[in-house]
Order: sequence, then structure tokens, then C-alpha cells
Amino acid sequence: MALTQDDVRGIADYARIALTEEELEEMCAYMNEAIEMLQPIREYDLTGVEPTFHPIGDLSNVMAGDEANANGRSLDLDVALFNAAAKQDRTFRVPSILGDEGGDR
Amino acid sequence: MMASFEELSAVQIAAGVASGEFTATQVAQASLDAIADREQEVQAFLQVSEDLALQAAARTDELRAKGAKLGPLAGVPIAFKDNMHLVGTRTTCASRMLEDYESVFTATCVQRMLDAGATPMGKANMDEFAFGSSTETSAFHRTNNPWDTERVPGGSSGGSAAAVAAGEVALSLGSDTGGSIRQPAGFCGVVGMKPTYGAVSRYGVVAFGSSLDQVGPFGRSVADVALAMNALVAGGRDPLDSTSQEVAPNFLDGLEDSVEGMRVGIMPALMEHEALTPEMREGLVSARDALEAEGAQIVEVELPNMDSVIAAYYVIGPSEAFSNLARFDGVRYGYQEPGCATLAEQTALSRAHGFGSEAKRRQMLGAYLLASGVYDKYYYPAQQVRTLITQDYRNAFERCDAIMLPSSPTSAWRFGEVSDPTQMYASDLFTISSNIAGNGGVSVPIGLGSQSGLPIAAQLQGPAFEDRKLLRVARALERGIEAAGLFSPGTVAPDYAHRGGELA
Amino acid sequence: MKKLKEVLRDWEAVIGLEVHTELTTLQTKMFCDCRLSHDDEPNTNVCPVCLGMPGALPVPNRKAIESIVMAGLATNCQIQPRSYFYRKHYFYPDMSKNYQTTQGPVAFCMYGHLDLEVSGQGALERPDNTVDKAKDGSYVAPIRILRIHMEEDAAKMVHVGGGEGRIGGASESLIDYNRCGTPLIELVTEPDLRTPEEARLFMEKLRQTFLTLGISDCSLENGSMRCDGNVSIRRRGTEQFGTKTEMKNINSFKSLHDALEYEICRQAEVLEEGGIVYQETRHWEPSKRRTVVMRVKETADDYRMYPDPDLAPFDLSQEFVEHCRERVPELPDAKRDRYVSTFGLKRADAAQLAGDPVVSRFFEEAAKAAPKAVATVANVMVNLVPATKNVLASQVASLASLLAQDAITFAQAREVLEVVDDTDLDPQKVVDERGMRQSTDTDALAVTVDEVLARCTDQVRQYQEGNKKVVGFLVGQCMKASRGTGNPKLFNQLLRERLEA
Repeated sequence: MALTQDDVRGIADYARIALTEEELEEMCAYMNEAIEMLQPIREYDLTGVEPTFHPIGDLSNVMAGDEANANGRSLDLDVALFNAAAKQDRTFRVPSILGDEGGDR
Repeated sequence: MMASFEELSAVQIAAGVASGEFTATQVAQASLDAIADREQEVQAFLQVSEDLALQAAARTDELRAKGAKLGPLAGVPIAFKDNMHLVGTRTTCASRMLEDYESVFTATCVQRMLDAGATPMGKANMDEFAFGSSTETSAFHRTNNPWDTERVPGGSSGGSAAAVAAGEVALSLGSDTGGSIRQPAGFCGVVGMKPTYGAVSRYGVVAFGSSLDQVGPFGRSVADVALAMNALVAGGRDPLDSTSQEVAPNFLDGLEDSVEGMRVGIMPALMEHEALTPEMREGLVSARDALEAEGAQIVEVELPNMDSVIAAYYVIGPSEAFSNLARFDGVRYGYQEPGCATLAEQTALSRAHGFGSEAKRRQMLGAYLLASGVYDKYYYPAQQVRTLITQDYRNAFERCDAIMLPSSPTSAWRFGEVSDPTQMYASDLFTISSNIAGNGGVSVPIGLGSQSGLPIAAQLQGPAFEDRKLLRVARALERGIEAAGLFSPGTVAPDYAHRGGELA
Repeated sequence: MKKLKEVLRDWEAVIGLEVHTELTTLQTKMFCDCRLSHDDEPNTNVCPVCLGMPGALPVPNRKAIESIVMAGLATNCQIQPRSYFYRKHYFYPDMSKNYQTTQGPVAFCMYGHLDLEVSGQGALERPDNTVDKAKDGSYVAPIRILRIHMEEDAAKMVHVGGGEGRIGGASESLIDYNRCGTPLIELVTEPDLRTPEEARLFMEKLRQTFLTLGISDCSLENGSMRCDGNVSIRRRGTEQFGTKTEMKNINSFKSLHDALEYEICRQAEVLEEGGIVYQETRHWEPSKRRTVVMRVKETADDYRMYPDPDLAPFDLSQEFVEHCRERVPELPDAKRDRYVSTFGLKRADAAQLAGDPVVSRFFEEAAKAAPKAVATVANVMVNLVPATKNVLASQVASLASLLAQDAITFAQAREVLEVVDDTDLDPQKVVDERGMRQSTDTDALAVTVDEVLARCTDQVRQYQEGNKKVVGFLVGQCMKASRGTGNPKLFNQLLRERLEA
């Protein structure tokens, strides 16, 4: 079943990408075309096939020691904040969250 | 001695700097001159890091003056794809989103090249966030193929490939998520390698598809690529990348050895694939002949699930891309839409205006594919298909040491010629499978197309963590092709050979 | 609204808890080597990984994995060797990558349980007989634990411009990523709790367990241990679950109890009036003693969960689990039982001492120094020590010895403890210097007794007329006359001997 523009609008809302009506139309066409291309995946009998989420063979249990700043990566405040467009004192600043659906977790 | 800088291989430059034949500073200056001379036409770079280059070269020269042992890449000018962090440069990913982003740390792969003595010349153009196969989605400018500036260099690591092909640098690094090193290498007539997933650290490389991305080198010969590979893995596994693994830095060992008795697999159906242009089919026949002439035995193999690789890739890639690019919200870094009253508005507009169309398309597709209910229909089965593809490779490599495939169905196309996104996706047909399975692949020039006159390439793939053997086969192919008079290692695109960048 | 007791006669409450605990005793964050922040200035302990900088990659903290396995073993969970970290996506700037790294359907620890001993007033909250109750009404409630999974904490946000730092009405928010990436374990119970008291006891027991493991400072007040409560009610005797609401902002054991109590009564009122309970998140307001709606959940959130490709799978070996098991110390229940059987303590006192590892270590040190007065040590610790600032185990041991020898009274012990508190003075010396040591010389005491009896003729008469309580007054007079140096027990004994004679 093809995605409707409403479906695509919902995905764009979720993905936090504002789309104009024109972009929405194009995006909808693109997504349906792309999904069409993915159909071979759905035509398999995959019963009993384990997924491979990581192409790393048997590599597992990769962990690091609990040693503070062992890799010397800690950033000075000015560096940490350097690329932020809005900051205040020692913090990053964002506008009002009110009305933001993601407000609760 | 007077030599044109681009005539020298990375191996020769490092040797010349070590022996005192010329200084690293002279080489850096020659590279800067070459860049100044050619960049207007090629536009391979987003940033040229002249200061960093001259400082690094001066340090190399100082070390030599003190009698210290120099690194294996001493004085070798190198370009980095602009998704790799290097302190002192911006890392833009060719996106408005990161137009002003200053690197706050240096990527492991970049650091290792510097540790080996390489001279950082700058940051190379790319498709925005590596989404593309032509470097046309760069938010800043296109990069022209040095063989024909009306044509694309391929992508997404188009700038890295073009800079090497035009003789601006001796080496470059790219990243390959679905063919983004091998395809532009093929388009630009240089050697490009995607090592086995995990061989090279991804730490500090802006992620596209975390389970697919792998960093690798471009050079004008297999030997230069092997030299760069040594430097990339010489520091051991990177403790900062959970998926990285230990690889021995012995890529030059036995590189010149004969491949007598080694078996190279081909898939007859792929050699005749309908997407291949006639000149590409011809080229593959001559590549097969060249390998046979070098003593390799050609065997037929099968990868039965090859038809599904594009589908699997365009499930896994966009899903991981959506997830990886979620962090670009304009809060901690990146483009921030001014004047927004609420956070939601600021986030949605920053992302709408910071990202280009293809970046938005991939993220939208990924956000859809990971949705509950959809995940089970596409993402999970795609990862099951990945198991089948990996198994296919395992079976195939029981019958051969390497597999030969095209690196792309065609040679470089004209700007704008491929505009439909899904049509563009299909051009990754022959490279994607090894990103899915994780094994290594290398693209080697095999001549110029009989119709187009443009470089064409063959791709060799090897079993996981058998990249040294893979390069040995690649070197044999290169040797055989040269012997057949089809293409010589070290070739710079003809319009840029012997033009500026004299090494005094 | 009806009272809880009344509501729970007709309705059964079904309560589940989600408990988040920061692993505050570690040195570093979950996926990077940034130092864990305690009271640092904003954005002091940040790096490319926890700031979600492009290109940064996570590496899990081994100690954190060990800690969660220990937590699982201590709560009778099955340790799952094979599991993955997942990415849980939601756009909110307190999570720097806009996804949280957490675990998927399989957590490190699954299917555990804790048994609660419910007694006293608290046991009365549960009127039903679906549990075996002792004569005094106490009972044991087995609470199943669904899972404990590993994840990372979010940044702290300060909301500016609204009232009391609340998000509503705020004009902007400021983000401090110090806490972002702090190792966090989330425990989810099955909905097996039936009363607010059981919920409170569960939290308390969990806190004691984690404190004993030494994996967290477990401060509800500072938020290193946080609890969300889910509650629904159903008519007694019915099976079908009601609609549940989720309680947030619970920062004390009392709040947990009271918020659940309020919510159970509120839901009962809504249903009894023919209304509908909505699935919603509610905020506990301790000052107003009520819950208010935070957010109505119309649809389930879609977090686009999938296995994190940046993190290798886990395949924990038997050796790893055994290594963790060896590091699990004696847990509160076992310790309580040992105190009862070895020292003959009262079960309630033993439980109190065994619950907090700092207290139990203190107790065991003091008990070792006063091996003949262990029960008295326990008595002093349960009844006197809680009011002190900083006393030493050696002081408690010394004091307990004095008490056990009847050298001072309990009232004097309290006084002596006040004197030695926050000093290194020896209670024995204080008692001697102040002449507090009570005389047990019967002949000397008899002199005082005779003096007092001669003086207090009224009281002697009252005693002989049957008012035996008056002996207390007479003991007081003897104490006064001896300036507190006489042993009141002996005075009492001597007075009675003479009065009965």
C-alpha cells in the first residue's frame, strides 16, 4: 500500500524536517518509488535465518576500563561550546520547549 | 634535480624525503602549487590547509635534521574527505548544516596518516554527508572529473579521487558506504580501496551508515594504496571504535609476488550484466586476460543473492543514516534557524534548511523503515538477507582467493545526466555487496573505454581480513594491464600531467 | 475522597515500578571516559562522545556492565549472555545524539524477584488473603522483576522564565551535558505490588541492595535513584486490568507511598462516579499532596528502536558472570538472618542494622570491640545513634559495655553520647571524669535509701496503701540524693526490699 502525503507528513514531523507542500509531494513520490525498489527483501523465505546487525564476525564484548579521561578527550568549555549557535554562560541554550511533543520521556 | 611533483608516487616521495633528495617542505610547496594551478578547473577541495601543510612539512624536515627516523609517509601530501575531522580545519560534510563546523578533535584515520609523516593538504569535496555517487549533492560546488571536466568524478568521495587523479596530492582518504571509494576511483582512473569493515577505525569520521562505512585510501598505484593501508592500521585496533579490529601493517609484504596458482572468481552473469556498457564488458575481458597472463586461474563462482543487494542496502543505509543524522538539530553545533519561538520549530527548520534534498530523502526513508510495524517488514529481513549474502561470499571464497567484478556499470557520466535518485542508486550495484558483508574491495584502472576514452576499472574483492592478499591480486592485475599496454600505474589525468607543481 | 483502607476493601490496586539508578560510584560515563559529575560546573565533564559530536563513537564501560550483572545477581535475575545495545530515538536536546543508547528486548538481567516482608501498620493496607498472613497480619509478598537493562542518563536542563523552573511558560532552556551519558540501570517490575506500602518497601529494599553492592549512592533526593510508579485498580475478584496511570516526580519513599495512595483513591472515585480513567502521565505535587496530569498518551511512542551498529554484541562468558558473582557481598536479608542467629538480635533491629551497608559495617566494628555486649551495641545503634552527628564505632562499643555492666543508665548513655559526639573522647573516661559511674556498692546505696525513706513518709504510706507506682518517685529521690551516681535498678531493688519488709 502506497504512502499517502499524510503518512509522509507524519514521518517528516517525527524526523523533525519541515517540508513545504511542494516538497511533501516530491518526497511522497520519491518514498513510494524507493519502497518499490526494496520489495525483493519481502519476497524471501527467511525462516530460521539469523540477522547480521554487525558485519564483524564473532567480535563481541568490546569494553573499556573505567578510568577517567584515559583517552584525553575531555573538552575545554570554550571548545565544547565553540560550534553552538546559541549559548549562555556555561550552557547551550534552546528556545521554549512548550508545545514540543517530545517534552516527556 | 627537477621533477614534476605528480610524477612521483607516494613511495618515491617518502623515500626521497627520507634520503634528503628533497625536503618535505619542497614537496608540500609543490603540492600547493599544483593545487593552485589546477583547482579552478578540478575543484576537488573544499578547503586547502596551507598552514597545517607547511607546519607538518617543517616538522618532518626538522625530524630529519635531528636524525630521527621518519614515518613511512614522510612528506607525502594527502587530502582528506571532508567527513573526517582534523583539528585546525572545518569539517563540513559538504553540507550547509556544517558549513562553519570547526573540528574539535582529529579522526583516528587522519591522525595515523599524520603520525606516519604525511602532509595534510586539505579537505576534499564529497556528496553531502556521503549521500550520492557523483559529488553533485555537495552544497558548495561540484568537482570535475580531471579526465573530462564536463563529467562527474563519481562519488561520494569524488574530491578525494579527483585530487589524486589530477596530481594535486599523492594520496587521499575517502569513505565507502556503498562504493564511495571504488566507484570514483574507477571514474577518475586511480586505485581506491575499501578495506574490510573494522580494519580501519571510523572514530572521527562523520557516520552515514555505521555498519557499512569504511575508510580507505586512494593512490595512483596499488603500491601507494598498500603504503597508505600500512599507516592506517599501524597503530593497532582503535580503542575508540568498538567495531575496529587488529590488522597487521604488512600490506607491502609480498605485494610483488606472483599470483601463479591463485584463483580469481568471476560471475559470468555479472560480466554480461545488462547494465554494463559494451566498453565495460570489453574491459573486463581484458582484465580477466591480464590476470590469466599473470598466472592466476580464473574460476566461476556465484553470489546467488546478488539481485537483492540494492534492496538490502537501501534499507540498512537510510535507516542508519536517519539515526546517525538525528543529532544534527542545530543545538550543540550546525546550522540553526534564527528567530524561532519554539524548540520544535527551530529543530524542524534547521534540519529543513541545513540539509540538502538527498540528505532529507535518505533520512525520511530511514525514519519510515525503522517505524514500528515497518521495521519487521524491511529492516529485520534486510539484516537476515545480509546473513545470506555473507554466506554467499563465504561459499564463493572457498573456491577462489578473490572475486573480480566491475566497479561500476559505466564510466563517468555527464553532470546532470543521472538525476533520478533511484536510478543513481542502481549505479552502486557491484560495490554494495561487500559493504553489506563487510569484506574488502579494491578498484583498479584497466584502461580507457573504447567508446568514451574515459578510465574504466575492475573491482577485486577478497575475504574479510584478507586485504593483504587482495592487494597482491590487485597488483597483479595492475601489472598485467600495464604489460598489455592498457594503463600504467602512476598515470595522472592527461590534461594535468606536467603542469605546475615543479619540485625544485 | 475515600480513605485508602476503605478503597482497598472494594478495589485491588495493581502497581508496577520502573526504577532508574545512576551508577554513581563509577569513575566514568557509560560510553566515554568522561569523569562522572557530582557538583561540577555545567559542561565540565564533556567530550565528543557525550556531546554527540559528529564522528564520535561509543565504547561501553566494563565496570558498568559488571555493576548491572551484580545488580541482576542480587535480585535473583537470570543473566542473559547474548544481548545488544539499541538506539531509542526521540528528538529532545537532553540526549545529545537525539537517541538514547539502551537495551532492546533482551536486557542483561531478566526475570528476577525480591521478597518483601510486610508487617505492622503497613500490612494492614492489604485486606485480602491472597497472601499467607501470620497471626499479627504480617506477610511475605514475592515481587517479580521483569528486567534490568543498561542505558545512559540524559543531560540536565534548566528552564528559564517560567515559574519555579518548570518547563511550562519557560521562554528558554539551558542545557548542561555533565550528566549526559552517566551509566544508568533501569529495573522494571512485573505489576505484582498491591499496596502503596509494598511499593515503598520494594524501593527501600532495592535501595538497600544497591547500596550494599556499592554500585550507587541511591539518593532519591538528588535523583541518582528515580522511581516511576504505574498504577491501575480493578474490582476485587476480577482479573481484567484497569487503565493505568504513570506517576512521576517521586523523590522520597514517602512521596512514592503518598502519590500511589492518592492515585488509587482518585481512580476509585472516578470509577465509582461512572467516569473513565485515562492513560496518562501524572506529576506528584508533594506540597499539595495530589497528582496532576502531565501528558495524555494517545498513541504509544514510536522510538524507532534498532540494534546500535556502533556497539558490538555482548556474549557474556560464564567466567565474566562468576567474576561478578564473587564481587556480590552479603546482602541485607542474609545479614539480617546472621545477626539474629549469631547475636540473638530482634529481627526488626537486625533488619534495620543490616539494611544500610554503612550502618552494618559500623555495627560489626562496634560489636567486634564489645563482644560481650553485642545486643546492647545493637540497642544503642537503633535507639541512640540515629540522633548523633558523628560518633565512632569504638565509642558505641565503649558505651555499650558501660550499659551492659549497669555502670550507667540509658538516660546517661544518651547524655554521654551527646558529649562524645563529633569528638574522639572515650565514653569510659567521660563517665569517670564526670563521676557518672554508678555505684553498685549496696551498702553505700542502702544509706541513701534509708535517708530517703525517712524523709518521704507520705510516699511510704501511699505505697503501703497499695500505690506501688510511687516507688518510681522514690527511686528518683535516691538518684537525686546520690547526684546520679547510684544505680537506679539497685535503688529500686533496695527500696522494694525495705518497703515490703
